[in-house]
Amino acid sequence: MDNLDDPNRVWPTGLTIKESEALHRHVIDGARVFFAISLFAHLLAYIYSPWLK
Amino acid sequence: MNSISQRAMRAWVGLGPRFLPFADAASAEVPLSRLLRLSLVQVSVGMSLVLMVGTLNRVMIVELGISAGLVATMIALPVLFAPFRALIGQSSDTHVSVLGWKRVPFLFNGTMVQFGGLALMPFALLVLSGGGAAKDYPVWIGQAAAALSFLLVGAGVHTTQTVVLALATDLTSEDRRPKVVGLMYVMLLVGTIASALIFGHLLEEFTPGRLIQVIQGTAVVTIALNGIALWKQESLKRMTAAELAAPQPSFRDSMRRYMQGEAARRRLVAVGLGTMAFGMQDVLLEPYGGEILGLSVADTTKLTAALAGGGLIGFGMASQVLSRGADAFTMAGLGTLVGILGFAGVIAAAPAGSPMLFAAGVIVIGAGGGLFGHGTLTAAMNYAPEGQAGLALGTWGAIQATAAGLGIAVGGLLRDVAMSIGALEGLGAARGYMIVYATEIVLLLATLAAMSSLFRPAGDQSTRG
Repeated sequence: MDNLDDPNRVWPTGLTIKESEALHRHVIDGARVFFAISLFAHLLAYIYSPWLK
Repeated sequence: MNSISQRAMRAWVGLGPRFLPFADAASAEVPLSRLLRLSLVQVSVGMSLVLMVGTLNRVMIVELGISAGLVATMIALPVLFAPFRALIGQSSDTHVSVLGWKRVPFLFNGTMVQFGGLALMPFALLVLSGGGAAKDYPVWIGQAAAALSFLLVGAGVHTTQTVVLALATDLTSEDRRPKVVGLMYVMLLVGTIASALIFGHLLEEFTPGRLIQVIQGTAVVTIALNGIALWKQESLKRMTAAELAAPQPSFRDSMRRYMQGEAARRRLVAVGLGTMAFGMQDVLLEPYGGEILGLSVADTTKLTAALAGGGLIGFGMASQVLSRGADAFTMAGLGTLVGILGFAGVIAAAPAGSPMLFAAGVIVIGAGGGLFGHGTLTAAMNYAPEGQAGLALGTWGAIQATAAGLGIAVGGLLRDVAMSIGALEGLGAARGYMIVYATEIVLLLATLAAMSSLFRPAGDQSTRG
């Protein structure tokens, strides 16, 4: 990595705040997709067999 | 600071980046192990494809009792998404992020979409079959949910495959690409064959619970494989504020620039015609063996294996020949000639009544298809204009996937039409197949004609743009 003295970098990752936020956004987007998919899957599971009854 | 705390501090600093998904600063040559890891995406693509087109095709009709027409519609849905590959490729070329990433975000999103589709699919299919309590609900819920899940998996597959091929192009130099293309094709085949066997084994005793386990298990394996594949593939590139704010070309502009490239249109026409020619016999292979040559089910299944085996031979030969500096298009042209030979053999097998000739023809067709596919993909990578690798591979994939899907549909239709209008009565039941195989030979000749001006003597790479 270049210029290690950059005051914006946060250790131990060495990313700047902006870069960390960009990386974090992917994690959050992924979590949102997981959540939406699981909601829909539960709905379909309920239609097929209402809580396994 | 004493030496111990200095060492500890350095350990901390070193610890962080190791656990981040960034590649080390670009090295002169990407090691083969990293390319092998990247090609794991192809395994998950093969897995999803065989699940939709092969395993679930049967399960939906036989075990779940869904009508064949509805099943065919569901399976055809992902093909509708194929043309968007060009757009996906272009967006990844022009993607702007503070991390300097272009491909990984698309790989990640594509994986998510593919996972989501697979996670929904078993429930959607169970509701679609009207089993359990689902019969009390309107039919459209199952249909819409199943359509959505197939579309999601299709979209995911098209996205990850396009972006992985673009990333592979970014990571390798021209002389190593033949090997990488061979690797990508072989991994796709490995994923397809291995998962077909595993799915078949796991679903031998079918229960709804088992269906959910198998498909959702596939979803988890997809995330794992793609996660391993994308890890540390793209390096962190610091972007300046000016770079971040710079306007990016629109899809229309990028496409216009790409089509102005050296014989771009001609190359795409050749890819489309050739892929369609090789694809038309896919679904006819087994019925032809069974109906005309009287082979058993076990024997016709071996035909599909023979076709795949021929493909492997083709990819192997292509990697060898191209690594020595042969021209990719000349080799693709050779592939069409080999294919014509194979189709001629298959046609001759019916009047000769020779299953051996038929099997040999099938292997030769497989090898021809392998040479052609490998040659055109390598060419698509090598001719990709600077900064347009994603668009180039996306367009190649869009044409290739659409033509393959069209080929299968046209092949089946053509046989049925030929049978119903009673063309070539004298040939009996074989005439439907004959007409399809003859059409494929004509298409291959047309491919050859379209490509003829692209051939170039070996070693002459001076005019490449």
